[in-house]
Amino acid sequence: MSATVICPKCGTPMNHQADKLVEPTSREEAEASTALGGVIIAVFACPNCGWIESERERAEDEPG
Amino acid sequence: MSEYAARVVIAEVEKREGVETELIDVALLPIPVDDAGPGAKDPELAEKMNRADALVLVAPEYNHGYPGLLKHVLDTNLPEYIHKAAGIVGVSASVFGGARVIENLLPVLRELGLVAIFWDVNFTTVRARFDDDGVLIDDSFLAIDKFLDELLWMAETLRYGRERITLGGSG
Repeated sequence: MSATVICPKCGTPMNHQADKLVEPTSREEAEASTALGGVIIAVFACPNCGWIESERERAEDEPG
Repeated sequence: MSEYAARVVIAEVEKREGVETELIDVALLPIPVDDAGPGAKDPELAEKMNRADALVLVAPEYNHGYPGLLKHVLDTNLPEYIHKAAGIVGVSASVFGGARVIENLLPVLRELGLVAIFWDVNFTTVRARFDDDGVLIDDSFLAIDKFLDELLWMAETLRYGRERITLGGSG
């Protein structure tokens, strides 16, 4: 997962506030997500302007 | 009748100092019905959900369930909802005031990452609550003040958490 995510709206480093399991949206994700049955998205919030961003975890990042 | 109820609720929200709000009618959104989930996302709605600190869902109850269109629209976003407050206003023609639609929506909100508050608003026997012009003629047992007090507390608390508290405790 990215070390630092920068807010695209105001340039402030964002806070990693949640990891959420979601369903895979491609065959590649489905094949790589057998351990948890889905894909983890990391969710970030900007402490300056409140904007929300998310990143889908890469297959090699997945635990298990 | 749900639109009448929504207008009552938004009028109460607008009375709260420092709160910006907007009524979104899911029936008027340009959401396609030949796809679902993120594939049907409307960028304008997604931006509004991203900026929101809380959602109030005004949901009519039909056959104990929520309208499919409401679920279809909610499903188009997900990261935008996470750790944000949500309250449900149930609307029904019965004396139960949408209690069943509220109960059925709760697990959906949880999976979407929303944090449901423990106060609800129930528009019971809704056809008798409004006149023909949509004016509320019976505001008994609505508890909107308690509902909004809790919703705004939760919204402010969760915003602080989203922005200041890092997952895993490293922030």
